Amino acid sequence: MRQMFANRLALATGIIVVLLAFAFAWVQSV
Amino acid sequence: MQTSHRVRGIFWGSIFLLLTIAPLLILFVDALPAGRDFWVEFSVALAFAGLSMLGLQFGVTARFRHITSAWGIDIVYHFHRQISLIAFAFVLAHPLILFVVNPETMQLLNVIEAPWRARFGVAAVVLLIALVVTSLWRVQLRLQYEVWRLSHGILATLIILLAMLHVLGVGHYINSPLQRGLWIALTVIWIGLLVYVRIIKPIWMIRRPYAVEQIIPERGDSYTLILKPVGHAGFEHKPGQFAWLSLWNTPFAITEHPFSIASSAENDNHIAFTIKNLGDFTSTIANVKPGKRAYIDGPYGTFSVDRFTAQAYTFIGGGVGVTPIMGTLRTLADRGSTHDLTLIYGNPNWEDVTYREELEELKQRLNLRVIHVLEEPPDDWQGETGFVTAELLRRYLPADLEQHEYFICGPDPMMDAVEAALEELEVPLDKYHSERYNLN
Repeated sequence: MRQMFANRLALATGIIVVLLAFAFAWVQSV
Repeated sequence: MQTSHRVRGIFWGSIFLLLTIAPLLILFVDALPAGRDFWVEFSVALAFAGLSMLGLQFGVTARFRHITSAWGIDIVYHFHRQISLIAFAFVLAHPLILFVVNPETMQLLNVIEAPWRARFGVAAVVLLIALVVTSLWRVQLRLQYEVWRLSHGILATLIILLAMLHVLGVGHYINSPLQRGLWIALTVIWIGLLVYVRIIKPIWMIRRPYAVEQIIPERGDSYTLILKPVGHAGFEHKPGQFAWLSLWNTPFAITEHPFSIASSAENDNHIAFTIKNLGDFTSTIANVKPGKRAYIDGPYGTFSVDRFTAQAYTFIGGGVGVTPIMGTLRTLADRGSTHDLTLIYGNPNWEDVTYREELEELKQRLNLRVIHVLEEPPDDWQGETGFVTAELLRRYLPADLEQHEYFICGPDPMMDAVEAALEELEVPLDKYHSERYNLN
């Protein structure tokens, strides 16, 4: 149950990274 | 959770997030001229973030007590595993995306003809795959824990080194002073963490040795090791905490294992660990001789009544998982506690109930109720049988369920079942506490 916290933090970090990478690639490509 | 721990958790969680995304933020500041391929740049950004996340694992696993105590070290290791898998996916996505959008880049896999920058990249990814495979399937690969731990550290260091050489070789996004400054700073942090874990900490530990004083056989194929500090005062701990024990001649050897502290927190003359023979390193405990030198890295862990104030505590233990609970009961007895205490204790059979006799003695010193639950009870057994279920808990737990704090420690299937049962009984989430040592 306590592990859910770690799972969510890892997932949130991953999502933020993907969004930022996406934004960067978009800025670079236009 | 106490407010100070929560604040500390948020602070260090934010630092981790900031250091993870810093290479991405810096990309925006000093970008290359626009008009580049979207997917190539996307794969590059993912790989930068993946590398940053992997490097930070040296910090996540460095066991800084100030940081890990915010969540509990078992959760920190679980996070290490999850975030590393995500970083692995990001790093792997980098070449895969390049192969799809630019099939000619597949020629870089030919390490005989490829330039050095590509060789470094390919080698880093191959070693990263090896690291992930050996970590996820260590048991199936029949890899000894000690061998795995050594190879894990070596592989991690080589991967970071090779990846940095790849980044320098390609030379994109590292040429401006800001980008260069960030990568130098990150590299210094990673190397600093490595030096701290592998050199500074062992030197500190070598100056604080312990000696095995006694080895006591216990029920349930377990042994209690009693250790005394040699030439120093030992360390203070909270009941229910654990420590990494190394029984070899040097703390530089990566041969340490985590065990719960079974002795009272009120007794700082010695420290005791009760260790069950599981057929691995633990099978050697029986042959340890008094006087043997040992090193202890601790205390760690949040599985402690001292963190959660209440008038009533319920402990649910399975097999040798009762060890931190025993440390807690011994501490409470030494403190003259008047708490309302319940222990629900599951075991395979009556003969293997570790601490059976001492628990009876503790009932005289504490307001303690012990409910034994046996899988294979003797013929004349009057008590509970089978496993710890929601129905069994309902019969023994008091009506004011939310007034208790619950501490659970045992094999993973038992902990899952008990946590589900407590949820079924609508015990609030923040009232039950568990610690998992199966970190693999």
